Amino acid sequence: MTNEIIRDIKRRSFLGRGAAGLGLIALNSLLKAAEPKAGDRWRGVVQPLHFPQKAKRVIFLYQAGGPSHLETFDPKPKLAEMHGKGMPESFTKGQQIAQLQGRPLVCYGPQLPFQKFGKAGMDICSLFPQIGSISDDICLVRSMWTEQINHDPAHTLMNTGAIVTGRPSMGSWLLYGLGADAEDLPGYVVLMSAGRGGQMQPIAARQWSAGFLPGKFQGVKLNSIGDPVLHIHNPKGLSAATQKDSIDAINALNRLEYGVTRDPEILTRISQYEMSFKMQSSVPGLVDVSKEPKKVLDDYGAVPGDGSFASNCLLARRLAERGVRFIQLYHRDWDHHGGVKRNVELKAEEVDCPTAALIRDLKQRGMLDDTLVIWGGEFGRTPMSQGGDGRDHHIKGFTYMLAGGGIKGGYIHGATDDLGYAAVESPVSVHDFHATMLYLLGIDHKRLTVKYQGLDARLTGISGDVVKELLV
Amino acid sequence: MTVLVLFLAFLSAPPAAAAVSFNRDIRPIMSDTCFRCHGPDRSSRMAGLRLDLRDEAIKKTASGVTPIVPGKPEESAIVQRVFSTNAARVMPPKAAHKDLTDKQKTVIRQWVAEGANYEGHWAYQPVRPPEVPAIAGATISNPIDAFIQQRLQKEGLKPSPPAARRTQIRRVTFDLTGLPPTPEEVAAFLNDKSPDAYAKLVDRLLASPRYAEKQAMHWLDSVRYADTCGFHGDNLFPIWPYRDYVLRAFRDNKPFDVFTREQLAGDLIPGGGTEQKVASAYNRLNRTSAEGGIQPKEYLAKYGADRVRTTASVWLGSTMGCAECHDHKFDPFASRDFYALKAFFADVKETGLVPDRGPKAWGSQLAMPSDEQRARKDELEKKLEQARMDLAARTQAMADKRAEWEKATLAAYEAGTLAWRFQRPVAAIAQNGASLKVYNDEPIDFESYTGASLQTAKKAGNGIVIVRGPNPDNETYTVTLKPGEGSWTALGLEVVADELLPGIRVARGSDRLVVTEVEADLGGRRIQFSLASASFSGVSLEYHAMSAIDGNSQTGWGIATYGENRNLFLALRFAEKVTTDSAAQLTVRIRQDSAFRRATIGRFRLALSAGEHSWPEPEEARRGRVNGLPNNVLNALKKAADKRTAADNEALDTHFAWASGETLESQVEIARLDAELGLLDAAIPRVVVAESVSPEPTRVLPRGNWMDDSGDVVEPAIPGFLGKLPTNGPATRLDLANWLISRDNPLTPRVFVNRMWRQFFGTGLSKVLEDVGSQGELPTHPELLDWLAAGFVKDWDVKRLLRTIVTSYTYQQSSHAPPLLAARDPDNRLLARQSRYRVDAESVHDVALLAAGLLTDKFGGPSVRPYQPEGYLSALNFPKRDYSASRDGDLYRRGVYTIWQRTFLHPTMQTFDAPTREECTVNRVNSNTPLQALVLLNDPIFVEAARVLAQNAMEKGGKSLNGRIDYAFQRALNRKATAAERRTLTALYQKALSRYKAAPADARDLL
Repeated sequence: MTNEIIRDIKRRSFLGRGAAGLGLIALNSLLKAAEPKAGDRWRGVVQPLHFPQKAKRVIFLYQAGGPSHLETFDPKPKLAEMHGKGMPESFTKGQQIAQLQGRPLVCYGPQLPFQKFGKAGMDICSLFPQIGSISDDICLVRSMWTEQINHDPAHTLMNTGAIVTGRPSMGSWLLYGLGADAEDLPGYVVLMSAGRGGQMQPIAARQWSAGFLPGKFQGVKLNSIGDPVLHIHNPKGLSAATQKDSIDAINALNRLEYGVTRDPEILTRISQYEMSFKMQSSVPGLVDVSKEPKKVLDDYGAVPGDGSFASNCLLARRLAERGVRFIQLYHRDWDHHGGVKRNVELKAEEVDCPTAALIRDLKQRGMLDDTLVIWGGEFGRTPMSQGGDGRDHHIKGFTYMLAGGGIKGGYIHGATDDLGYAAVESPVSVHDFHATMLYLLGIDHKRLTVKYQGLDARLTGISGDVVKELLV
Repeated sequence: MTVLVLFLAFLSAPPAAAAVSFNRDIRPIMSDTCFRCHGPDRSSRMAGLRLDLRDEAIKKTASGVTPIVPGKPEESAIVQRVFSTNAARVMPPKAAHKDLTDKQKTVIRQWVAEGANYEGHWAYQPVRPPEVPAIAGATISNPIDAFIQQRLQKEGLKPSPPAARRTQIRRVTFDLTGLPPTPEEVAAFLNDKSPDAYAKLVDRLLASPRYAEKQAMHWLDSVRYADTCGFHGDNLFPIWPYRDYVLRAFRDNKPFDVFTREQLAGDLIPGGGTEQKVASAYNRLNRTSAEGGIQPKEYLAKYGADRVRTTASVWLGSTMGCAECHDHKFDPFASRDFYALKAFFADVKETGLVPDRGPKAWGSQLAMPSDEQRARKDELEKKLEQARMDLAARTQAMADKRAEWEKATLAAYEAGTLAWRFQRPVAAIAQNGASLKVYNDEPIDFESYTGASLQTAKKAGNGIVIVRGPNPDNETYTVTLKPGEGSWTALGLEVVADELLPGIRVARGSDRLVVTEVEADLGGRRIQFSLASASFSGVSLEYHAMSAIDGNSQTGWGIATYGENRNLFLALRFAEKVTTDSAAQLTVRIRQDSAFRRATIGRFRLALSAGEHSWPEPEEARRGRVNGLPNNVLNALKKAADKRTAADNEALDTHFAWASGETLESQVEIARLDAELGLLDAAIPRVVVAESVSPEPTRVLPRGNWMDDSGDVVEPAIPGFLGKLPTNGPATRLDLANWLISRDNPLTPRVFVNRMWRQFFGTGLSKVLEDVGSQGELPTHPELLDWLAAGFVKDWDVKRLLRTIVTSYTYQQSSHAPPLLAARDPDNRLLARQSRYRVDAESVHDVALLAAGLLTDKFGGPSVRPYQPEGYLSALNFPKRDYSASRDGDLYRRGVYTIWQRTFLHPTMQTFDAPTREECTVNRVNSNTPLQALVLLNDPIFVEAARVLAQNAMEKGGKSLNGRIDYAFQRALNRKATAAERRTLTALYQKALSRYKAAPADARDLL
C-alpha cells in the first residue's frame, strides 16, 4: 500500500463515516497495517478495472514531425490525377495552414507507389513491405485528425490530451490508473532514437511529464548516450558492494529517524533507496541488447549500442517483457517540408523492418494479444506541395497504425476524402484515440479523473468516444 | 487507554448537531456535484435551473418546479431528487459518477429545513479584521496562536510543546533562507540566553540576502520565470535582470503593492526608471515560439491567454483558464471577463512568431550598461567613426588605381590565383587527449542539412582533420603542413559542419564554437598575422575574427547562433609574405581555451592563399567553383562599369579597400575596434521589457477559437462581479495593477498571505493555493486568514508578515506527532503541532553544497550552469546544442541561479519536483522517488559535495573517527550523531576502508 492511500484511509476512517463503530482492536490493527512496508509498489487507483482488460501494456512508436499519410498508409489516386493543379478551394477555405500561409495551394500527387498486402488486400506504400507482410495483424485508422498545427503544441495534445501544459501525459495516467508490474524498473519509459536528419524534432520533457500528478508517475527517459537512466552508474571508483553498504547504512539511519518521528515518508524513502539499487543492477543489463541472439538482432536490424529506432524497438520488447506499463519510443525525423519522396524513402529504411519485427516478435512470444502497439505522429502532411517537393503540416486527416491488445487485425477504419485532405468517414479525434486506448486497458476514460483547478481533469478533456469498430 | 476510549467516544458524536453553514457544508457539495449543469455557465445549464444564486434557486422554473423552498425540504425539488431512488430521476445523474453520500444528502435536507441560507463565497467578501480571540497563556505569542488555539480548544486538542531550540533555529533558518544554519550559528543561538534571542535570530535571517533568494524562488515559480522561451527550439532569452529585480525587491522589502504595480505596469508608471522597466519584464515571461509556420494570430491568442491565467493565479488565486472557452463552471467568471482581462495586455508590443536569433530576436529589450560600459562604448564608437573616415580617405586617395585593380583582380580570379589551396597536413595532434585524424584521398561521409533535407555525400577528405575520442573542455590542435614551394599571403581555417556534431553542428559540445587563438610557426619562428576576417558577419559579434590573433586567451573567434553556421571560414592575413621551400614545414596551433567547455572544432581544414587577397569563404559554399572572391564582387567585376548598380559599386568599394594593402592600417584599426565593441556589447546586461503600443482590439473568442472573429470586441475590465474600474477612457495595465492592490479587491491579500502560510506550515490555510474559488477549500481558519490579510494590506510589508508568522508559538511548536494526534489530524490542518515536509529542490542542492563548504556566496547575476549529464539536451534541436557547465565558483551557486531550461529543466531540479515554469506554479508537489535516491547517490554535484565534506571532516574533525562523524553531522544536521548512528557509520567506514585498502586504484578514481 502506498502512503497516499494509507493517509487517505486514516483520514476517512477517523474523520469520516467509517469511524463511529470502530473498536479498539480494529484501531490498533489499522494503525499497524498503515505502516507501509518497504518495497511496495504502486498498484493503481482503478480497482477494480472498469472494463475487461484487453491490453496490459502499450508500446507507442511515436513518429515525430508528422509522417506523410500520402506516402505511407493512405493511397490517393485522385490526388495523383490532380497533381500540379490548384487545390480546390472547397477543401481549404477557412482552414488552418502552417508554412504555406499566403502561398498558392497546389495539389502534389503521391510520390511513392502503393501495393496490396495480406488477406484484406490492404493498400500500403511499397516501401513498407515488412509492415505489409504483417498487414493481417494491423489496423489502419485513416481518419485521424487533430487541432494543433505546430509541432510543439501538437505533441502536447497527442501526449496529454490538452494544449495547456501541466497536464499528465497518457503514460502517467496509465501508471497512475493501473500501476506497473515491474518491481525494479520504472513503469513508464521513454526512448529517444538517435538518427540522422536535420529536422530532428525537439521533444520537450513535458511530453512525458506527470503534470499535476505526483512526480513518480512521470516517464523515465532511457538515454542512448551516457547513463541509460540518469546517474544509474556509480561514480568511478565506487564498487557495487560499497554502494550497497552505503544504501544499507543510509536506510539504517533512516530507520533510526523513523523510530523517532514515525514519519511515513521516511519509510517511502527507504523503499526508494532499495528500488534505486535494484535499478542499478537491472537497468544496465536490460538496455544492453547485445546479448540477444544474432537472428533477433538481424530481424530488427539492430546494431547494439547505436541507439537507433531498430535497437529501441528491440529494447521496447525487452521492457514490455519486464512489466513496464507504457513504453514510448520516439522517431524524430518526419518533418518533410521538402524532399518528401527522398525523405520517406530514407525513413522507410529506418522504420519498416523494426516495426514489423517488433510486432512479429511479440506475436511469436504470445505477447501481442495483450500488448497494444501504436504507430503514428502528431499530425499528417498536406496534399498540397510545399516548395515543389515537400509537404506542410496537416491536421485534418492522417493515419495511425495499431496492432495487438484487442485491436482488430487486417482492418481499415475511416477514410480521408479523395485528395487525402480531411477525415470524412468515421473521423477519430485525439480524445477518441485516448478513450479507445484506455478502454483496451480496462479503463473508462470518463472515470479516471483527478481534481485539478476545480475540475475533474482527465486525459480526454471533455470529449472522446471509444471507437468500438477497432476492437476485436 | 482511557484517553483512547474518550477519543473514540468523541469520534462517535452525531455529525449534524450544529447548524449547517453554507460555505462550509453546502457549497463544496453543490460546487462539485450541481454547478456543472446548474451553475454560472449559461451554455451548459440544464433545465433552466440555477443553484448558485439563492434568488434563482427559490424561483419556480419554466417547467413549474421549485428547486428550493426554504424551510420546506419535502417541497424542494432538490431534496426530492437527491433522495430519489428512481435511477432516472436521482440527482446527480448516475452517469456523472458523483453519487452523494447519505451524510451529504442529510446535510442538504437540514440546510433547506433551516431556511436555505446562502452565504457569499468567503474569498470574495471584503477583508475585515476579525476580533482576536481572547485567549492568553504561555502558548500565546501573538494573535495567530489565539486563532489556532481557539479552534484547538473547540476540538478538544492542545498545542504541542515548543520545539527544541536547536530545531527552532534549524527550522526557521531553512524556512526563511532555504539553508540550514552553520554549527557556529547554532552554537551562538543556544548560548544566547536573552529573552529576545529568537526575535534577534529572525531579524538576522530576514536581513540576509539568503532570505531574498528563498523568496525569489517561490515568486519565480508563480510568475513562471525561466531562461528559455519554452516552445520548440527553446532558446535562451535575455531575462535574468528581472530575476535580480525580484531578488532586490525581497532583500530590500519592497512593499508588495509597489512590487505588484512595477511588474504589471512598470513601463507605464509616470517617472518610472530602469528599475520599473526591468520589472515590466513580468509581461514578457510567457512562453513564445519561433517555429516556422506558426499562425501569428493563434500564438498571440496563446500568449494573451497565458498572461491571463498567470495573473489570475498569482493575484486572484483564480482558475480563469476555464473562461477562455466558456463561462466558468463554478465561479462567477464569465468568458467575457477572461477576454476583458486579456485586453489589459493588448498594448504589449509583440509578434506571434518571436524570433529567437538575429537582430530582431526577442522583441523589445532594455540594455543596461554600467557607467563605465557606457563611457567606453561612446569612446569606441567615436574612434570607430574616425577610423572609418580614415579608411574612406585612404580609399579615395587610391581612386586612380581602382580600374587597374579591378582588371587585375578579375584576372587573378580567373587564373585561380585567388583560390584557397587546401593543405594536406602531414601531422595533427591534440594536447589534451582528443584524437585527430587526417583524411586526404580516403573517402569519408559528409552529412549536412541544407535546403529541406539531409544531404549525404561520400567523397575524398581533401585534407580534412576529424576530431574524435576524448572530449576535453579545452583543446589545442597542432597541425603540421608541408605546403611546398610558394609565397603565401594568408592562412585559412575552414570549420566543416557535420550533423553528428552536438554543438550547433560545428563544435564537439556546448552551444557555440570558440577559437581563442591561432598561431603559426615556420622553421621555429612565429609568423605574425595582420588582419583576420571571417566568412560571415553581423552575427556573434563578441566572437570577432580579430580575437583569434590578439594574443588574448580570454577572447576568441567563433559563432554562437545557428542557421548561418554550415561551414565557417577564418582568413588570417600574414603581416609579411611567407615564403616556403619544398621542405619547409608550417606548424599551426589552434587554441580553444574558452570558458565554454567543449566549444571545440569537430572537423576542419587548413588552407593557404597566394593571392592578393583571398576572401574567406568555405569550399562547399562555392560548389566547386573557383573561390577567393565574394559573389557580389565577382558579379560586379564582370559587368561593364556603366551597367553597375549602386550596390555593385558599394560591394566593389568595400572589397577594394579590404583587399588593398595600402589601407591595411585602417582595416586593422576598424577590426580591432569592432572586436572590442562586440565584446563590450555582449557584456551589457539586457532584458526583455514591456513596450506599450496602441493596442489591437481584443475580441471574445467563442469557445476559445482564435479563428472565429464573430465575438464581441471588449474593453479592458476587471471581472464583472468584482466591480468596475472608475476610469475615463480605456483602462490600462496600471489601472489593473492599482485595482489588484486596492481595498476593493479582497483576493490579492488573501491569496498572497495564504501562499506565504504554506511556506511555513507545508499547507495553506486554504489548501488549494491556486484556487480560492468554489472548488477550492474553505480555509481551516478563515478568521486567521483574514486577520493576516487585513494586517498585510495596511503597509504590504512582507517581512513584517513573515516575522509575525515565524514568531508565533504555533510556528515554533514541536512537529512530533504522537500516534493519537497523528490519527486525529493526519494532515495537521488544526496545527496542534508543526508539520514535517521535505525541503524544495533548490534547497536539496544548496544544503549539500553548504555542508561541504562549497556554496558560492554571490547575490544575483546571470544564470549559471551546474554539472549536468552529458547528452541531456540531445532531444533538442533548432539548434542542436550541448551544455557547458560553468566554471569555478559559478558551479556552486544556489539553485535559484540555475539556468531554467523550460523543456529540459536541469534533471536534479526536476527530479526533486521543481516546476518547469511553463505555467504558473504556486503549489509544488513533493514526491519521493527512486530517481531521487540515484541523484543523491551518484549525481556528480552530490558526489563532489560528499567528497569535500569528507575531506573537511578529516582535516577539521580531529584524528578520531567519532570526531569526524560529529563534524559531518554538525555540518549536515546541526547535531552530534547518536550512539546508534555512530555505530552504523563506523561499520560503513570500516567496510569501505578495507575495500579501498584492497583496491587503492578505486580510491584514486573516486578522488
